[in-house]
Amino acid sequence: MSRDDRLMFAFLALHPERARELVERHGSAAAVLRLARKGRIDAIDRERILDLDACRAAMDRAGCRAVMQGDPGYPAMLSDLGDPPDILFVRGEIPAEPAVAVVGTRRCTSYGRRLASSFGTAIARAGWPLVSGLARGIDGAAHRGTIEARGVGVAVLGCGSDVMYPPDHGDIHDALLATGGAVISEYPPGTRPNGWRFPPRNRIISGLSAAVVVVEAAITGGALVTASRAGEQGRVLFAVPGDVDRQASVGCNLLIRDGAIPILGADDLVEGLSLVLGPPPLSAGKAAGRPDGLGGRILEAAIPSATPDDIAERLGLPISEVLAAIARLELGGHVVVDGGLVEVRVGQGVSE
Amino acid sequence: MFACVTSAALVGVEPRPVRVEAHVSGAESDRDRFNIVGLPDASIREARQRVQSAILSAGHRFPSRRVTVNLAPADLPKVGSAYDLPIALGVLAASGAVPSSVTRVVALGELALDGSVRAARGGLAAGIVAGRHGVPCIVAADGGTEAALSGADVRGVTSLAHAVAVGLGEDPGLASPTRPNPEQIPAGLDLAAVRGQAMARRAVEIAAAGGHHLLLVGPPGAGKTMLARALPGILPDLTTVEALEVAQAHAAAGRGPAVGSRPPFRSPHHSATPAAILGGGSGVPVPGELTLADRGVLFLDELAEFPTHLLDTLRQPVEEGRVHIARKGVSVAFPCRVQMVAATNPCPCGYRDDSRTPCVCTPRTVDRYRTRLSGPLLDRFDMRVMVPRVEAAELIGKGGEGSQSVRQRVTAARRLQEARGSLNRALGREALDALPWSRGADECLVEAMDRHALTGRGWDRVRRTARTIADLAAEEVASDAHVLEALGLRRVL
Repeated sequence: MSRDDRLMFAFLALHPERARELVERHGSAAAVLRLARKGRIDAIDRERILDLDACRAAMDRAGCRAVMQGDPGYPAMLSDLGDPPDILFVRGEIPAEPAVAVVGTRRCTSYGRRLASSFGTAIARAGWPLVSGLARGIDGAAHRGTIEARGVGVAVLGCGSDVMYPPDHGDIHDALLATGGAVISEYPPGTRPNGWRFPPRNRIISGLSAAVVVVEAAITGGALVTASRAGEQGRVLFAVPGDVDRQASVGCNLLIRDGAIPILGADDLVEGLSLVLGPPPLSAGKAAGRPDGLGGRILEAAIPSATPDDIAERLGLPISEVLAAIARLELGGHVVVDGGLVEVRVGQGVSE
Repeated sequence: MFACVTSAALVGVEPRPVRVEAHVSGAESDRDRFNIVGLPDASIREARQRVQSAILSAGHRFPSRRVTVNLAPADLPKVGSAYDLPIALGVLAASGAVPSSVTRVVALGELALDGSVRAARGGLAAGIVAGRHGVPCIVAADGGTEAALSGADVRGVTSLAHAVAVGLGEDPGLASPTRPNPEQIPAGLDLAAVRGQAMARRAVEIAAAGGHHLLLVGPPGAGKTMLARALPGILPDLTTVEALEVAQAHAAAGRGPAVGSRPPFRSPHHSATPAAILGGGSGVPVPGELTLADRGVLFLDELAEFPTHLLDTLRQPVEEGRVHIARKGVSVAFPCRVQMVAATNPCPCGYRDDSRTPCVCTPRTVDRYRTRLSGPLLDRFDMRVMVPRVEAAELIGKGGEGSQSVRQRVTAARRLQEARGSLNRALGREALDALPWSRGADECLVEAMDRHALTGRGWDRVRRTARTIADLAAEEVASDAHVLEALGLRRVL
């Protein structure tokens, strides 16, 4: 198939299976195109095939490009799928690093929304890209968490990547593109959000990610679809436990029973993810640098833990200076202050 | 015949003139008719007996005709025995027993049956009303101090006859000391008595300088209460106007004027009723501890022992500086520009995080203890400081810096704030935005926000504290060091 042929079928692939069917029946894409021009193909398909130019114009308007299987920009991880999309319509840049998917129900509780947002932030802070579906509820909260931390995020849509759906997530759409992320879809620009398109896109979400985090899921719904696809694709599955009698948590609790890793909080998630993805790209560099000057002296004086009063006395410094320096160390993640005690974090000790 | 004498009543803490009108009329047969109208309470109705006896004891005849006394404005509820003296003067003038010029005064006092005058509540209000009207204020000689706080022309009298003489200008009356004796005011605790606790001392100093709300958390015996009690000692003196406001609040609560120029320190017990703390009571609302601490310190010891609903009702008045109280027919707003200082143990047994004594609380009881202190209330403390146990070596060591030198720094920082027009505690978001911040200061704030160390309200509170720290250092621009120290003094409980 020539590039144009494939692009043509991509457009026809408002239902990708239909495109494959046509190619199989008529031998090649070129034959389908020929037959379409002669009017010997079903009217609906024919119109779409011959409307190729209009579709290209829509792509240009949306600043969207088509990436096909085998192209250099096509995400390698998608080849793990049994049914990878032939073509992706991409706005923005798909990050090359392994990503983390955070998904969940649209009908989430405030518990789920809060956690999804904190996970989005934690994942972004650790330096991993976040993939989700831009849907209402958990997806949106996770995206917003990432955006807040200025992280990179990818939204995989079940409609055209230029279609604002749900409409109130337009801000996420824009922010993802502005912070170096991407909005992608296997459907061409202008494709309307029909319900049947959403379950298939879930395989792309898990396909792009090395790990999938399910925050809240009912017993039916897209989140569990994503989870089961993730299982097939060999992705590591995390799930947030919840009340056993709460609708929105039944799916997650089931996943945990069946072997998903339970998440006990944002820090726990980052820890678990580093076992799968390797050390977080951002914090690894940060923790390596030990503060020098006053901060370093305070660290040494505080090992393993001390009150600010003790530190000030040991170093003979005014308490105001010591307090400011401790706050700075705390912001840098070198110490934790708990119950009036300054505790030096592991790995921050004196170099021996 | 008709006569009118002015007296005074407090509405909330606001003095209002009360006109005492007396009318004598009718035939001799109407004898024994003596009525008082105008929302008097039982104690005022009893004035009839006291006034009759006192007039007889003063050597005058009580009119044998119908006597009607009206207290105006009629819709203002009036309480207490303080109107005895103006009623008696009015009746004497109306019956023609003394010249009517005796009524050109503001009078207030309780009469004894033998005609002597006793001090009554409301002396300060009478003084303020007299000052406004530009007439002399006649009160009992032993209660003249309170009225004299107003700066009015106060003349103390000992008896009804004496009051008549003073009213007619035949006698100058007795002078009263214009200010209470400073030695009478408890000086509070000197900061030098607090051993160790460098961070907590620093927090108290900053709190004093900016008027910030401060929460002290620590095990029993760490010195939290001592630190709080040392706070008023490092606050600057009240201005004359402030001292008068404080005296007014105390007078409205019927507590006498002994306030002087030092900021008040009130420490209500956690078993106190909401009315005792917020103000209230039946009939005319009376100020509570919150208002008595106006311009001073409200100290809540054992914060977690206070009923949660009471703490929640404190939030808004403390923020606004006013507490609104509505009772049947009267609604008043009492001032409460207080600095809230609270102390609490970290857990029910008190020894959580302690270096020596193990904590015996279960996680559940700790949780329950902490949920009593609602997040929104904790958020309103500008500073939340841990006060650890003091080691024995520090206890026998030398004491810290004394209150006097700390007060000098605090006063200097306050002066900078006065020049800006507002105490740092009261700075709003826009005012804070308008102040100069170094680039590093902004960066620290953003970073703290990003790390979830700050809420939106906390953002402003940290900036207020940082501003005070800069003021103590006499720096015009608040820098990152100031913001960081403010962050370090605002710990999550």
